[in-house]
Amino acid sequence: MNLLTIPPPNLSRNSILIIEDFEGMRVILRDILTRASATRIVMAANAGSAISQLEKHPFDIILCDLHLGQGKTGQDILEEARHRALLPPHAVWLMVSAEKAAEMVTGTVESRPDDYLIKPITETMLFSRLTRQLEKKRALAPIEVALREHEYLKALRLVEAQLDDNNPHAWDLKRMKAELALLSGENELARTIYQEALNLRNLPWARLGLAKLHFNEGHYADASRELKQITDGNRAYLEAHDLLAYTLEKLGDPDAAQEVIQRALATSPRAPLRQLHLGEVALHRGELGTALTAFQNSIELARNTPLKSSQAYLALAQVQLTLNQTDAALNTLSRLATDMHGDSTAQLLAEAMQIPVRLHRGEKDLALSLAQNLATGLKIDAQHLPTEAVFNLAAPLLALGETSTAAALLGSLISNHHEHPEFLQRAQSIYTHAGLEHEGRTLVESAARAATDIMNRGVKLSREGKLGEAIKLTREARAKMPNNARLLLNHAFLLIAWMERHGRDTALNTEARNCIELARKLKPQDKRAGELLTRLELIGNDFELPA
Amino acid sequence: MPTEQPKLDLSTFLLSSIHDMKNSLSMMASYLEDALAQTPTEAGEQANNTLARQKTAQALYEAQRVNNHLIQLLALYKIDQSFYPFDPTEQSLADLAREALARAMPLAESKGIQLDCECPENLFGWFDYDLVFGVIVQALLNAMNYTCNKVFLKAAPCEAGVLIQIEDDGPGYPEFLLDQGNALQRGICFETGSTGLGLYFADVVANLHQAGGRTGRIVLTNGGKPGDDQPVGRHLSGGCLSLFLP
Repeated sequence: MNLLTIPPPNLSRNSILIIEDFEGMRVILRDILTRASATRIVMAANAGSAISQLEKHPFDIILCDLHLGQGKTGQDILEEARHRALLPPHAVWLMVSAEKAAEMVTGTVESRPDDYLIKPITETMLFSRLTRQLEKKRALAPIEVALREHEYLKALRLVEAQLDDNNPHAWDLKRMKAELALLSGENELARTIYQEALNLRNLPWARLGLAKLHFNEGHYADASRELKQITDGNRAYLEAHDLLAYTLEKLGDPDAAQEVIQRALATSPRAPLRQLHLGEVALHRGELGTALTAFQNSIELARNTPLKSSQAYLALAQVQLTLNQTDAALNTLSRLATDMHGDSTAQLLAEAMQIPVRLHRGEKDLALSLAQNLATGLKIDAQHLPTEAVFNLAAPLLALGETSTAAALLGSLISNHHEHPEFLQRAQSIYTHAGLEHEGRTLVESAARAATDIMNRGVKLSREGKLGEAIKLTREARAKMPNNARLLLNHAFLLIAWMERHGRDTALNTEARNCIELARKLKPQDKRAGELLTRLELIGNDFELPA
Repeated sequence: MPTEQPKLDLSTFLLSSIHDMKNSLSMMASYLEDALAQTPTEAGEQANNTLARQKTAQALYEAQRVNNHLIQLLALYKIDQSFYPFDPTEQSLADLAREALARAMPLAESKGIQLDCECPENLFGWFDYDLVFGVIVQALLNAMNYTCNKVFLKAAPCEAGVLIQIEDDGPGYPEFLLDQGNALQRGICFETGSTGLGLYFADVVANLHQAGGRTGRIVLTNGGKPGDDQPVGRHLSGGCLSLFLP
């Protein structure tokens, strides 16, 4: 009788974490693992204790239930553990679930579990998956290390080396290769792989990858066409819905964008970022009730998770103010202060954003004393404040006669976004409304000019071969305008040129990488980010570029 | 949480109840499997021990049968409502066969049925693992219900895809099942008590798999009469379910 039996894995040297809220199931899983000689088994009944165990010990194997009752899901724990690098590179994460869920099959290499198991879990199933995944992760560990070091080209090279020898996981590797190519700006390489996959069969991940390429290149109509092919047939592919919503916004169709987000929320409502996005689109469309609920949901869902940010609180307070619910708005701001107690910018914003509320309530004295007390803090922190908050704060400050604070905030905003005519226009119109048209023009022009001047001076210095001086200049400028994509890329360019001449330097390397990563987030369509990443990685490395 | 509460309809209760029942059944199946693994099987064991094993295996079979049906209903509902996360990946057929046989083994042992399998270790195919796994396990359990004493699982490459077959040496499928080409129209048979769910599920799953202009399909045959769709030779004389995946 041939029943394809394989020997059970020997887990005697592996440390294992079982994350499962149901005690009976924990015991069953532990007993099965014990039959594979596992001795180092730790169990966690909820997300909190799972995270603290993961902080304490680098586990080799994690068996995690996707649904853990109220609160965080297994997917949240996985993403947090990856994000905070709590897992060793060879760790195997098996997600256990009662049924196949959308979370398991979408997402990127960062957010996918290594494998998933559908209950009931049998010994054979667990052992065969563990054997396969342990072996696979051992082979992938060097790639994982390169990924963590952001060495995408090196990771690409390693993936290619493994693809050569008739690998049984060939398409897993190709999918990873395409994702790495996207990260390192090798768009054509990624496109080739996605096309190859789509020629083979209709694979949602490949079509999504193709759509991402179109989106990053600014070809929104193409992106929308590909994404609709995924979403029209099936609402389980959540990531495609999210990207489609952003694409539709770019195409000037917020109505359709909102519909798509709501469809994704119907499938998976417990997603704080998706709720935030719904709020933003609904606000843009003037549907305040929907926006209000969405921002509230986003806050509730993100509380106690790494996803929490000031953004949802500020947006909620702004909607409440527009709806004349000033008590609620003040309440939201005080919750912002409590929930984000470690974040000094959030504390500043929680106070500062009371100014428009107080003014709206006719409490002018209170508003003025707030503005005066916070003036220094606002000026110092101006470059770090979110643009919406600055726009919402500027008009009340001008109305209160706090012109120098308003000018510091808007001036900083403009130098951060000097290539963004829409922002310059909004700043100008705030001044015009306050009857200060001329002052506005002077401020907008001089702030934009100052940004351009610095760029030009940097370029001139570097052409003259004065790299050191140029770097000093752009570094100082970066402190003042940390979100100016062009400046970030110019600065990274200079740092790379310096290292190409004088050799690799860890601190400069990190500085350049941070600039490029942020610039890419701010301006995904700029091809320079990918090119600079490649040059950065090649400094002091001798591997070749992928063909 | 200040979410707007949508009005609950019956399908919400049905879905959550199915989930709840599935969880219980998963636990029950695990306990029974554990109990079977812990009962000694050495020669000379006591008769009542053998009986206990048989009863436990039978209970495990029933628990798995209901669990499979619930999984199939849930999957069908999600496919129908367009939110099943259909996810074909390149997978090892040997792993699939191993895991499916492990599911069927306790019952086979207790019923004295001989399970055999033929599958190359290096055979890979593109399919949605969970759906196809459900089809294979169901087919194995059915075959064990109708067989005399042998069930054979075979996976092999075929033109532009893979072919998985489950054969038994029982009386074979009734004529009316063989006649109706399309399982989607077979419906409920009140004579046999079969709801047709298993075959319907297999058909839906097969149809979801498409590549290169080809669509997956199931074919039912009897008694070692290979049809056009069966490049693979027959091993047993009873019913045979063939699942072709492009």
